[in-house]
Amino acid sequence: MSGSALLATIEFRERGGACEENPKALFCFDWARHNLDRYETPTIQHLQLVLAAVAIGFAIAFTLALLAHRRHWLQPPLLAATGVLYTIPSVAFFFLLLPLTGRGVDTAVIALTAFNLQIIYRNTLIGLANVPASVRDAARGMGLTDRQLLWRVEVPLATPEIIAGLRIATVSTIAIATLAVFVSGWGLGEEIYKSLNFPTGIIIGGGIAILMAMFFDACLYLIQRAATPWTRKASG
Amino acid sequence: MRYENASKRYPGSDTLAVDDLSLTVPAGEICVLVGPSGCGKTTAMRLVNRTVELTSGDVLVGERSVRDIEPAHLRREIGYVIQEVGLFPHRTNAQNIGTVPQLLGWDRRRVAARTAELLELIGLDPGLGDRYPGQLSGGQQQRVGVARALAADPKVMLMDEPFGAIDPISRERLQNEFLRLQAEVKKTVLFVTHDIDEAIKMGDRIAIMRVGGRVAQFATPAELLMSPADEFVEDFVGADRALKRLALLRVSDIDLWEAPLAHVGQSSAEVRAKLAGAEVPYPLLVDDDRRPVGWLSQRDLDSEYVPSRPDSPLGPVLEGDDIMRDALADLLQGQSQYAAVIDSRGRIAGVLSIEIISDFLGSPAAEQDRQSATERPTGAERASEISGDGERE
Amino acid sequence: MTPVGSIGGAIEFIFQPQPSNVTGGKLVGGFSQTVELALTQLEVTLLALALALVLAMPLGLWLGHRGTGGFFAVAIGNAGRGIPELALIALMAAVIGVGILNVTIALSILGIPPILTNAFTGIRQADRASVDAARGIGMTELEILTRVEMPLAIPTLMAGVRGATIAIVATATIAPLAGVVTLGDYIINENVYGENGVVAGAICVALMAVVLEFGLAGLQRLLTSRGLKLST
Repeated sequence: MSGSALLATIEFRERGGACEENPKALFCFDWARHNLDRYETPTIQHLQLVLAAVAIGFAIAFTLALLAHRRHWLQPPLLAATGVLYTIPSVAFFFLLLPLTGRGVDTAVIALTAFNLQIIYRNTLIGLANVPASVRDAARGMGLTDRQLLWRVEVPLATPEIIAGLRIATVSTIAIATLAVFVSGWGLGEEIYKSLNFPTGIIIGGGIAILMAMFFDACLYLIQRAATPWTRKASG
Repeated sequence: MRYENASKRYPGSDTLAVDDLSLTVPAGEICVLVGPSGCGKTTAMRLVNRTVELTSGDVLVGERSVRDIEPAHLRREIGYVIQEVGLFPHRTNAQNIGTVPQLLGWDRRRVAARTAELLELIGLDPGLGDRYPGQLSGGQQQRVGVARALAADPKVMLMDEPFGAIDPISRERLQNEFLRLQAEVKKTVLFVTHDIDEAIKMGDRIAIMRVGGRVAQFATPAELLMSPADEFVEDFVGADRALKRLALLRVSDIDLWEAPLAHVGQSSAEVRAKLAGAEVPYPLLVDDDRRPVGWLSQRDLDSEYVPSRPDSPLGPVLEGDDIMRDALADLLQGQSQYAAVIDSRGRIAGVLSIEIISDFLGSPAAEQDRQSATERPTGAERASEISGDGERE
Repeated sequence: MTPVGSIGGAIEFIFQPQPSNVTGGKLVGGFSQTVELALTQLEVTLLALALALVLAMPLGLWLGHRGTGGFFAVAIGNAGRGIPELALIALMAAVIGVGILNVTIALSILGIPPILTNAFTGIRQADRASVDAARGIGMTELEILTRVEMPLAIPTLMAGVRGATIAIVATATIAPLAGVVTLGDYIINENVYGENGVVAGAICVALMAVVLEFGLAGLQRLLTSRGLKLST
């Protein structure tokens, strides 16, 4: 067992409660009740990490997709670049950045952002490309400029795909952000890491992450439904 | 609207898609571009609103070259209807219709008023304006597409196989409605289709194009049917062009025969005397108001006086306004050689026979022209005729 | 944001054993250790992938072919994305125990959702007309699945496998927490391996992931029929 894990075990034994006799029990409600407040800060940190990473990731990926939508020659290189960033495991990414940005929250955010670029980029691009050719033809033929075509027709019609990408990115980032502990000490991962031999702690930490993911997933889904009234009403 | 030596060559292609096209479309008329696949008709149409750019030559709309106007602005002045309609799924039908007026900066009240006006014009329930295109049938969608094209009241309309994707019954209805509309709004329309029958029905003037983007003939439907310029046109128009010609005529356009008339109670001998030398070998029984009642047979005339109930039923009855092709169909279906033709008050005006029709078709073109010149049914009249008379449908 | 370690130092670490602070000057790192850790990571990754494939692929294909269980298949995919990797490994280790078997099971849990979901959607999206024609010709259901639907679904199927692999190899990095010593050991135990070791571990993991991805992409290209490539 590594040194820090050892320390963690000791810490929890000290915390006590009903789990003193059996710290390895699956879940100690007593302990949970008494110690829930210690998860508050990590949860907020976790949220901050995720929101920052998804927001920045969206800003970058969406812009890239808009650029690549018209300039087809950009698509293969961008797909490859975002793909590489996605393939590199975040844990490794955190530490690849060490020589550049050192330890800390910034590094974590950069790595998490890089992770969700591809998802958002691909979904946005596909959403834009799926606009029916006849709608584009009619729009141009009626006199919409390219920019009007993009913002008034293509982007609104691509919204379901874009939000789907956001949902996937958010959920994935929440899960991966548990690993940010290794480079920044922030987030729910911190609590989980401290609870290495203490199932209750792990379950609470992981459980909060899962609940967070479900919450955002549901919210984004509702936003998508609200933003696309025409998809609900189409008849056969 | 005018094409002047317009040509289009797609990059990487040896052949011209549109080859030196020179054509004038008079204002307020429907000009149909028709031809086989690949003849360049759609490309030619798209040269007008620059969704395809000219390689050489020019296209003028209202005496202004399309090259001189910025494409987006040009297109806002031209109505554009395509086969797949291309309604914006994410906007309501009303918003779709109001697209160009909004682009042009109309204020909201004006847009709403115009939208309501157009919904009525195309025969759609105003409530449908707030629904989405996905909730409409194909025919309804295309109507909204036409309304959308008309919204900013353009002088010129481009229509690319607008009714092609619709079932034949709805298509006929839409064609008729559009013709009715055109009679009211009188736009200059460039209409593309591959269907020669649609071309003849809709067009005031037709340009038949052959593969390679050249015009084989540019003429009115009647000219096209009577004097095809070459074998290609003849083939394209179809072997049944004689019958197609009949679609352009009315019963009143030709000289009818006279039937010997008989009244109830008249002496048969009198009637038999009339028969001799008459064009129609059967007497027609009419009432006091000269309304036809039935045809008299030999047996009827055996009695001394004309009976009140004739042997043969009246059979098909035609009116002067009827389209000749439908009249012929009625004759054939009624299995009779002759049909009584009545005037607007129901009184006998003459008799039409199959022989008359075939004589007419066989007579020299000049003769037919003279006879039919003033009375040629316009598309709109043809339409109201066809839909207004329940019997015909 | 102060830089830590250096690339040069890291490269050196990979190939040359370095003295370590904790173990009192004993040598750590170096080529043979690196390779050993890499092989362990590869081993557990492939094992977990194989397990996930065996469990998820047939089920996904069958559900897709039958057209049922769609909600379940998609929901599993969504849920799987949200599994916190650290919690999974830690819980496995704490509750079930350490060792390569347990880690493999934990990792395969991560790999099942993408494979299952993509197998389902891939088969569902196979051209319906082709399937109807195949049925009309007289193919059995199994033949339709293997000869028509699967070839058409290869891109989507492979995307699922690739997604699973990425998730598995990423989490295999922290397997040392559960007793399976992979390249992640360099990363997690900085006090032992030093700054350069940490960066070295990161480089090696990244490389492994990218190489695996390339390999799978190549495999996908091999498996995709030419006609399909032309039409996409």
